[in-house]
Amino acid sequence: MIVLADFMQRALLAALLTGLAAPAVGTYLVQRRLALMGDGIGHVALTGVALGLLTGWAPVWTAVVVATLGAVAIELLREHGRASADVALAMLFYGGIAGGVLLVGLAGISAATLTTYLFGSVTTVSVGDLVLIAALTVVVLVLCIGLRPQLFAVCQDEEFARAAGIPVRVYSMLIAAMAAVTVVVAMRTVGLLMVSALMVVPVATAQQLARGFRATFSLALLLGVAASLTGVTLSYYVDVAPGAAIVVVALFGFTLAWPAGSLLRRQRFAGQRAETGRRGHVAAEEHVHEHDAECGHPGVPHDDHVDYLHGGHLHARHGRHYDEH
Amino acid sequence: MTEVVDIDDVTVVLDDRVVLSDVDLHVSQGEVVAVLGPNGSGKSTLIRAALGLAPVRQGDIRLFGTPISQFRNWQRVGYVPQRSTAASGVPASVREVVAAGRLARRRPFQRADARDRETVEQAIALVGLTDRSDDRVDRLSGGQQQRVLVARAAAGDPDLLVLDEPNAGIDQTSQEAFARALRTFVASDRTVLLVLHQLGPLGPLVDRAVVLDAGRVLREGPLPIPADVTGMPQEHAHSEHRETGLFG
Ligand SMILES: Nc1ncnc2c1ncn2[C@@H]1O[C@H](COP(=O)(O)OP(=O)(O)O)[C@@H](O)[C@H]1O
Ligand SMILES: [Mg+2]
Repeated sequence: MIVLADFMQRALLAALLTGLAAPAVGTYLVQRRLALMGDGIGHVALTGVALGLLTGWAPVWTAVVVATLGAVAIELLREHGRASADVALAMLFYGGIAGGVLLVGLAGISAATLTTYLFGSVTTVSVGDLVLIAALTVVVLVLCIGLRPQLFAVCQDEEFARAAGIPVRVYSMLIAAMAAVTVVVAMRTVGLLMVSALMVVPVATAQQLARGFRATFSLALLLGVAASLTGVTLSYYVDVAPGAAIVVVALFGFTLAWPAGSLLRRQRFAGQRAETGRRGHVAAEEHVHEHDAECGHPGVPHDDHVDYLHGGHLHARHGRHYDEH
Repeated sequence: MTEVVDIDDVTVVLDDRVVLSDVDLHVSQGEVVAVLGPNGSGKSTLIRAALGLAPVRQGDIRLFGTPISQFRNWQRVGYVPQRSTAASGVPASVREVVAAGRLARRRPFQRADARDRETVEQAIALVGLTDRSDDRVDRLSGGQQQRVLVARAAAGDPDLLVLDEPNAGIDQTSQEAFARALRTFVASDRTVLLVLHQLGPLGPLVDRAVVLDAGRVLREGPLPIPADVTGMPQEHAHSEHRETGLFG
């Protein structure tokens, strides 16, 4: 076993936590079609970091506070937003990064220090940072997994979720706050400008291979951990910013998954066709499935083959379902 | 007779536009009531208001006798929003989408139990998608996705089904299957409020229709309502060409 320097152990641990938290929240953001929200929060968080550097408070803490405020503001804009919502969002992004650079300039912070926040750094994760990162990651994961059915429903169909009595606003704000916390968790490893990639790319990769939400979620976490551990290790040996290394590794995974995904789909399709063929209906597989809804209704004129397939069978299920009530 | 939906003199204003003005609608237990009218007449807004989803400027709304602001028994309501797709940014399987229909009955952090899972399978079977339960919804046809949304509402085992154009994009034969499912549903004295673009095979099931025009009730009463009043194309025009497109 290779003995790792202390800072490298901390960096790897931080990478592991980041690799779990970022795709977990990212799955919900992508499902809501808010893939760029992480990016926006990252920009706003820079102001928080600068505030910390200027005042001498721990930048991680000031970043958590400012990023959460920014995320809630973004969520409010989204909720009330009409046509101008994305313009308002854009202004918040630019305001965030401009504010950050301005404050950094006032504080007389070097560009090198700023770079460690923007693109991550393996040498700067302190024990204090690590404890905070670990605590925040645990909270984010418990919420993301424990509330998965509710969060899924809210992200999938807000109208329906409301009519199911789910407090959609509370959950929306929760997602925004978790996204903010995750941005800060990821700040030390991938950096504020790259964090969104770790939220989105593993999810996009997992989508190529998985068929359901739960499977995509789990696979995205796995891929996120793989990418951030590989990226941080790479940055140790090649001496590049870990953020860039992590993102390149994640994107590499995506380019591998793309053809693999098409191949998988083609195989599934072929499997379905073979099955359809055995049933003696080769013409159109989609057609067979369309006819399921007919439940073998006798009044509907359709060919014997489909009747043979589904006739009676689904009717019985109707009966069972409603007999219960 | 127990009143399930009470809408009294309701006015809804969206973006400074009066979308509904002084609309009355009452649905009793066991009834099937259809809301008809041309596009933009306020049909969706009316049923959204009934569920507390649209801001009500004036008037009174009750569900199962409870003022909507205090209504908490959401497991009694199954809602199918007007949508052309059940897809979202991340792929979800048919089963996962339908399972969301059980959430009004589950507390946060509470796991799905055997009964939840069983009801979900039954709801999927009801719309005839059992052999597609593990498939991604975004890979299904528009009509099949619509059926997934109906299954999601049915999975909650509700007393009131509220459906916004459940037949959009569904072909004639599937509509007939849906009509049969609905018939069993109301046979157990449950209630349906639905928006329809065309009556189609559901026509014979509908007890009463409300025709909206420009946010006002133009006409209300038992069917049949002449097609020229509903502002809809004649029925036979639809059976001529079997459309399976999004708005077929
Ligand atoms: N969120 C909204 N903001 C502003 N106007 C809206 C909104 N939703 C619907 N409307 C308007 O209200 C009217 C009625 O809409 P809707 O209830 O969807 O009609 P229908 O379902 O009968 O086609 C339309 O003119 C529509 O443009
Ligand atoms: Mg509508």
